[in-house]
Amino acid sequence: MENLLKDLSLLNAVSGDENDVRAYIIKTLENVNCDIETDNLGNLIIYKKGRKTPKNKIMLCAHMDEVGFIVNGINADGFISLSAVGAISDNVVYGRQICFKSGVTGVIGGKPVHHLKENEKDEQPALSSLYADIGAVSKADAENHVSLGDTAYFVSEFCSLGDDLIKGKAFDDRVGCAIILDLLLLELEYDLHFIFTVQEEVGARGALAATYRLKPDYAVILETTTACDIAGVESDKQICRLGAGTVIPFMDKGTAYDRELYNLAFETAAENGLKCQTKTQIAGGNDGSSVHKTAGGVRTICFAAPCRYLHSPSCVIDKNDFAEMRVLTEKLVSKIANM
Amino acid sequence: MNLTETLKTLCTSPGVAGHERSAGRSGSASEAALKLLSAYMPNAKIDSFGTVKGSIIYNENLPPEGPAPLLLLDAHIDEVGLIVNFIDEKGFLKVSGVGGIDRRVLPAAQVTVWGKEPCKGVICTLPPHAQKSEDKTVKEDEIYIDCGFTKENAEKIITLGDSVTIDVKFTELQNGKVTSRALDDRAGVAAILYALDLLKDKKLNYNIAVIFSSQEELGCRGAGIAAYGFNPDLAIAVDVSYGDYPGAKENTSWKLGGGTMLGISPVLDRTLFEKMKCIASDNNILYQIEVMNGKTGTNADVISLTQNGIKCALLSIPLRNMHTPVEVIQLSDIEATGQLIAEFIAGVC
Repeated sequence: MENLLKDLSLLNAVSGDENDVRAYIIKTLENVNCDIETDNLGNLIIYKKGRKTPKNKIMLCAHMDEVGFIVNGINADGFISLSAVGAISDNVVYGRQICFKSGVTGVIGGKPVHHLKENEKDEQPALSSLYADIGAVSKADAENHVSLGDTAYFVSEFCSLGDDLIKGKAFDDRVGCAIILDLLLLELEYDLHFIFTVQEEVGARGALAATYRLKPDYAVILETTTACDIAGVESDKQICRLGAGTVIPFMDKGTAYDRELYNLAFETAAENGLKCQTKTQIAGGNDGSSVHKTAGGVRTICFAAPCRYLHSPSCVIDKNDFAEMRVLTEKLVSKIANM
Repeated sequence: MNLTETLKTLCTSPGVAGHERSAGRSGSASEAALKLLSAYMPNAKIDSFGTVKGSIIYNENLPPEGPAPLLLLDAHIDEVGLIVNFIDEKGFLKVSGVGGIDRRVLPAAQVTVWGKEPCKGVICTLPPHAQKSEDKTVKEDEIYIDCGFTKENAEKIITLGDSVTIDVKFTELQNGKVTSRALDDRAGVAAILYALDLLKDKKLNYNIAVIFSSQEELGCRGAGIAAYGFNPDLAIAVDVSYGDYPGAKENTSWKLGGGTMLGISPVLDRTLFEKMKCIASDNNILYQIEVMNGKTGTNADVISLTQNGIKCALLSIPLRNMHTPVEVIQLSDIEATGQLIAEFIAGVC
């Protein structure tokens, strides 16, 4: 499953441009007996039969898209301006290598530190004031490699850190995609529906159409969520912690999760000796915000892997959390199947 | 000599100021530069301060008018970076900057800590909703690295005082430009090596000494120490200077691809400057002039004050995004710098 995450996270699929991830998923499922459909928006809608038929129609959901950049201008000297697709903090863009869809590399830079006034050294320049430099010498030269509307993404290595951590880009939400793919590659206990959605980072949009099409009774959103368990942050502000297991939120900015499912998830984790935690702050949101309100309402729960430095080029997760989240997903599905 | 490969070898070797020899052990910046310099100067070695030095001295063929003057070529081998100060109870490393680092590049950057083994890590940053003020970058005294180790395991590999570099892939951009960390001043080192390559088998007008000096980013310390030993008659310092960027003023930034930058300032020697200008014009070597009003912020400032004082020239290579992991230079500017040095040493002008 870690190899799936590596492959998936190194692919580039900024919201609205999810083709590479979609193609990888379809290819990986080539020899798997399941129904795969791509809808009008580009969502993948998949059904796979299991050994048993559940009492309820259950849907698992992960989003294919990631935060990134879109080209919105090229100046006379061939410097490229960008805007963020999804929420990218100005904190993490200055001094980065990025790659455009054409495969061309650029760097985001600007005024050298030596030319900054003392107070400017503490300020993070806004992306709107910065340019990407591909080495072009003129607008026409740049246009040979980059066009308005092209997407661009962080260049970032996938690697291990320390004892149990892994670091890479786009773990939000290739973690969810990898878990679903891994489930699909093996025999299922119950018939299940799956959606790999588009445009989550621009307002959980793809999930709305895909959920409407399936009209499930229950949904499990597989995600990542912000962990702030880093140096200098007090425990009440850490939200969740790496290595403390699957995050099961009771509420975030988009969804008040089903209380019965929430309790069931904690019970299931305890029964199986799996670590889990909740989020200690009402923050963030995900496809659940669309899913639970669709087609007369869907009872929804979310499992998330705690992730440090979310929406940066250096997402960091604990591999044990990731592995346990997959197991907990399977166990909870079995419970819901018989509810 | 393959300039891109030379530059890549130099830029991918760690050499934070004060750690030019020790970081990455056999793969350190000084070790890499020593190997490259030895091809032209078999007597090359690393001094006790981490500076690489070598020379070509023609004692055996003294011209009738006495020994040729000794010319010192200098570029600095060190780079800006970070240094480990403290390991907290959860294993996070507290670090501070070495040299004038640009803190704007730090949040969420991937780094390598050069401990007993190289360890990867990420510089801690808070997500937007947990920050007090989102437009502020990490404070000087609050830089932490997440290496993923418990304190106990971190201490097995990492020692206080270990150096840290920001990870980035050396990458070719369009039109002969490359991006990497540490192009300041490995580009200068490469320019000197390029000149030595052009001078192979040529009759030289000077005896030559080369220093790839340490600790420039801490205040030009290594160059002063090494220049004292050679006590040259004249010197050329090779460094990088400010490349153009959108919105930059024309007299404070210079064009990438515009050629080598000839420095003129009160601390530099005017006759050498004029001679360089003349050689560049006569040989169609692209150049642009950088005017400074006092100290240059380069090794030229200290080399010129070595022993009884030394006439010094400054050549610079225009570089974008100085002191970041995405510095950018154009190879043709390194070549122009190397050509000008070679013409100065072996030419007829």
